[in-house]
Amino acid sequence: MSSTTNRSAARRAYGRYAVRRLAQAVAVVLLAYVFTFLVISVLPGDPVSNILRDPQNNFSEQEIARIVAYYGLDQPLWVQLSEALSRFVVGDLGVSLRSNLPVSGLLADVLPSTLRLAGAALAVALVLAFAIAFGVRNLPAALARPLRAFPSLFLSVPNFLIGLLLIQWFSFQLGLFLVIDAESLWATFFAAVALGIPVSAQIAEVLIANLDHEARQEYAAVARSRGLGRARLFTAHLLKPSSLPVVTVVALTVGELLGGSLITETIFGRNGVGNLVQRSVATQDLPVLQAVVALAAVVFVVVNLVADLVYPLLDPRVRLDASPAPKKEVSA
Amino acid sequence: MTIPRSPRRPRAGRATTAAAGLLATLMVAAGCSAGGAQSQAGGEPQEGGDLVFLIDSLGPTWIPNNSSISSFQGHIWGHLTDKLVYVDENGAVSPWVAESWDQNEDATQFTLHLKDGVTFSDGTPVDAEAVVANLDIWARGDVERGINPIGLFPKTYVGSEALDDLTVQVDFDAPTLGFIPTLGYHGSILIAPETLASSAEEQADLANDIGSGPFVVESWTEGDEVVLKKREDYDWAPAALDHDGPAYLDTLTYKVVAEPSVRTSAVQSGQAQVAYNPSPQELEFYGEQGFTVAAPRYLGFVNGYAINTQVAPFDDVRVRQALQVGIDRDEILSTVYTDDWLPAESFIQSNVPGATDHSDALVHDADAAAALLDEAGWVEGSDGVRTKDGQRLAFTLHPNPYLATSQAVDELVAQQLAELGFDVDIQAYDVITYGERVSFANPSIPTYEVTRSFIDAGTVAGVLTDADNGENWFNVGQSDPTLTGLAQDVATATTTEERDPALDELQGYVLDQAYFVPLTQIAQRLYLQSPDVQGVTYNGVAYANYYTAWLAE
Repeated sequence: MSSTTNRSAARRAYGRYAVRRLAQAVAVVLLAYVFTFLVISVLPGDPVSNILRDPQNNFSEQEIARIVAYYGLDQPLWVQLSEALSRFVVGDLGVSLRSNLPVSGLLADVLPSTLRLAGAALAVALVLAFAIAFGVRNLPAALARPLRAFPSLFLSVPNFLIGLLLIQWFSFQLGLFLVIDAESLWATFFAAVALGIPVSAQIAEVLIANLDHEARQEYAAVARSRGLGRARLFTAHLLKPSSLPVVTVVALTVGELLGGSLITETIFGRNGVGNLVQRSVATQDLPVLQAVVALAAVVFVVVNLVADLVYPLLDPRVRLDASPAPKKEVSA
Repeated sequence: MTIPRSPRRPRAGRATTAAAGLLATLMVAAGCSAGGAQSQAGGEPQEGGDLVFLIDSLGPTWIPNNSSISSFQGHIWGHLTDKLVYVDENGAVSPWVAESWDQNEDATQFTLHLKDGVTFSDGTPVDAEAVVANLDIWARGDVERGINPIGLFPKTYVGSEALDDLTVQVDFDAPTLGFIPTLGYHGSILIAPETLASSAEEQADLANDIGSGPFVVESWTEGDEVVLKKREDYDWAPAALDHDGPAYLDTLTYKVVAEPSVRTSAVQSGQAQVAYNPSPQELEFYGEQGFTVAAPRYLGFVNGYAINTQVAPFDDVRVRQALQVGIDRDEILSTVYTDDWLPAESFIQSNVPGATDHSDALVHDADAAAALLDEAGWVEGSDGVRTKDGQRLAFTLHPNPYLATSQAVDELVAQQLAELGFDVDIQAYDVITYGERVSFANPSIPTYEVTRSFIDAGTVAGVLTDADNGENWFNVGQSDPTLTGLAQDVATATTTEERDPALDELQGYVLDQAYFVPLTQIAQRLYLQSPDVQGVTYNGVAYANYYTAWLAE
């Protein structure tokens, strides 16, 4: 009887927790949207007059003012914001001030490329991180010790340098892919390597630290005393508990995958979200930037929400009433 | 969508040039030298082939009026559309869709006679009605639909009408000698009336923008690439291009690669045929390897400083003149640029019809500059900077963000002037901040760096003073009767024979008063090209035309 009561109480607690996290998520997205608007509005100029002011164009101030008025950019800030916000809540992302194309179409054009790149980069990062962690725990000390330095090395080499070297070797010298065919399998793979290397560093660090921690636990000592080999101990006992915190790190690196994609996309000539952001920032194309920031906020919030919602299910020791986020402490 | 693939592989061989710096090392690491073995003026044109052009950006929007002035989109428009007249790199005007034209005596009324049989790619004729629709939208835009006028189109436009299917009459309310040449400007592109009547959102989709050019859009992706394919029934190229019928090339692909070293290395490894805007420092290296470097000049103003005459120390003509002769232009050419750049001879480019050689006024003479500053009362202090009444001889340069080499030139100029006792500060802004803070006649802006193309020298008159809403570059207003009078003579001339002497006198006067301090002739559009690419032509605004080009194997 009491176990049933406990279970339903636990379910209610989980439900309350999920609703609270969902409300937070919506608030974060809306605040990000408003914040972007305010930040961009503080900057000098607007996309329309910036383009018209190019000295090649020979437009008079009166002509520029007429066009700016057409786009409503001469309206008070709060009018522009309330219009943008009321459109956004009903899902209308508006029209790009730079290209005059619908923002939703622009996003749809670039999103698949970025998702492929980010997904592939995450896979590269995970494979690399687990390979390094395996090497650190299983190779002889003379080899394992220098291997421990890899993550900090990966973090310190600039992303664009890795990208330029990969292009130079694998495209221009070996001809494995063409820079003009940036979405091909090989081109995507090498772009993912360039983007995945720095991301793998953080995952590897956390994984190695947790493996070291778990290896010192009593159960590991017991397992070793029963004569278990290094590799068997690693796969059967240490890997699972050490991998759990990786979920949290992966959630945190989503931001890095999105942010880092700008440089990688630029160098590899890919047409992704990063490039769209770059073009839109250069021209202060507010509707596009707001949509991208809202999208990034949604992705970030959803990934973290999933991590937070999944965690109590994976690890019953996590307390649901603890706020803020009830993540297991990452021992890095 | 298929992307045309280049079957070429990196050539054998090894670059032996030792070059410093990471990028140079990367280029050498590519190890593929063309060896300069290719013949440059080679053989019979060959049919077929796919040309890939790597570009830094595709510019903001595809609405024809709003985008055709962009340095990037001009390349694509030049292949999708035709113009009424053709203007070559020497500013010579010749027939194109307009077979001939007449004008009345005071150059206020023009009659255009159109070529018969020209069609847009949707099959509709390029007739008088279509030309009138284009002229109206170039001149006035349509603000109700968010469509700009063309900035350079004569403001004196009254209207135009179709006299018959192939004859258009155009009226102006004042002499407009520049009208016919302006029809060859890269903004004056002929677009199907149906496109012009559609909404801005529809025109923003390049696939809806119908022209009559030698290529049509096969596919495009915003901000990424545009693939053009040749139009088989094209048969109305300007006679000046010396080529009839359809283009030789099957397709033209404009692909955005933002990183300059990747663009140039891709051409070097044979993955693309043309890289736009390589950095001038790389050009010599590639030239030695047999690649073609093209730095065509455009018609327009030279690169130089328009001086704000109301701001100290430039309110004194002697200080301006000291600046005019105190700058060593040869050193700029030899330090920052390569042999592809030419010294300025006036404040307009030497290929503009009516430009005359005033290099005598621009000879470097440090002694004369020092004497002028002494005479003006500027005395050299212990720190090498001249002062007068407690004021230092100081001013700020704002490098032009539209010109990549501008900052390097300004740094050199600052050094040169420091030797004369100037204290020159450099404040660089990005494009947006520059547009907001730097403008002609702004009291805090002592010099404005000019880069601007135009087709007809008549444009010059509109910038010198504030008469007729002029841009008033030197903040002189109409206080200098000589300047106002000469500008008026140029603006109201009804024939070039009448205008040319006035234009010559005007150039001499502006340089003598040091209202404008020229630096070098401008080559803003640079092309690094595979030696396989033959027969490229460049028009008066320095755009490469691949209608005449072919690929040699």
